[in-house]
Amino acid sequence: MSMSNATDSNGTLPRHYLKPCLLLLLAEGPSHGYELLEHVRRMGIKGAEPGGLYRYLRAMEKEEMVSSWWEPSQAGPARRTYVLTEQGRKGLNESVQSLRDVREILVTLLDRYDTLSTKASASRP
Amino acid sequence: MTSSAPKSEQLRVLYWRSEILQVVYWLHGEGLGDIVDLDLIRSYLGVDGGVDVHENLSSYVDLLVSDGSLVQDGDWYALSQRALAEGEAQLATAFTDQVHPVASECNDECWCHTSAAEAEACARSRTGKASA
Repeated sequence: MSMSNATDSNGTLPRHYLKPCLLLLLAEGPSHGYELLEHVRRMGIKGAEPGGLYRYLRAMEKEEMVSSWWEPSQAGPARRTYVLTEQGRKGLNESVQSLRDVREILVTLLDRYDTLSTKASASRP
Repeated sequence: MTSSAPKSEQLRVLYWRSEILQVVYWLHGEGLGDIVDLDLIRSYLGVDGGVDVHENLSSYVDLLVSDGSLVQDGDWYALSQRALAEGEAQLATAFTDQVHPVASECNDECWCHTSAAEAEACARSRTGKASA
């Protein structure tokens, strides 16, 4: 996998953070597809598109992290409503712990880089 | 996603019928569009690696046209008035829940306990030869 496939550019979140983002949004409350799409884009996954979102939701449903049903509407067609399951809550907790670990690594890396940059600047004539 | 599809042709037809209908209903319900083509359906199903459905998607969609769930206009498909009125999404979901396996010899997603034909197809795919 190339780096361009693994991440979005311009400092946005890598695509594979879509799953924890969705779990978090559903932990905050039940939601629908398009609403989730708008929220994950606001959270930094700007390249999120409906097809990918749909596949993630279907996959998470098969993993029993999410459950859903068709909700009839007075104003329009029925929409799929998604909620987090207990399994999904556990998945969210694990994802968050994993992200905390990654954050520590990133902080260490960036600190060492900054230290190196400072030394390099100081040693220049 | 394709790995969770049943292996016997009879169930596979019903499974993909349900999956395709759900995509079209989902797009319609979210206000993302009322017409789809095969490429769009394929991208939503995530079937890039699924040779079977990749080759047969067109025939699965044709079945939905012939049973009156979808109407076709060239390369484009839409839910029929009848399908909209009858709310087949609920039926599709109910079907998915009904036939999804609760126990498996193979893995959590295996369909081998849902029917004799499925068990035979599963054994055949695992051993690479026809069962007696």
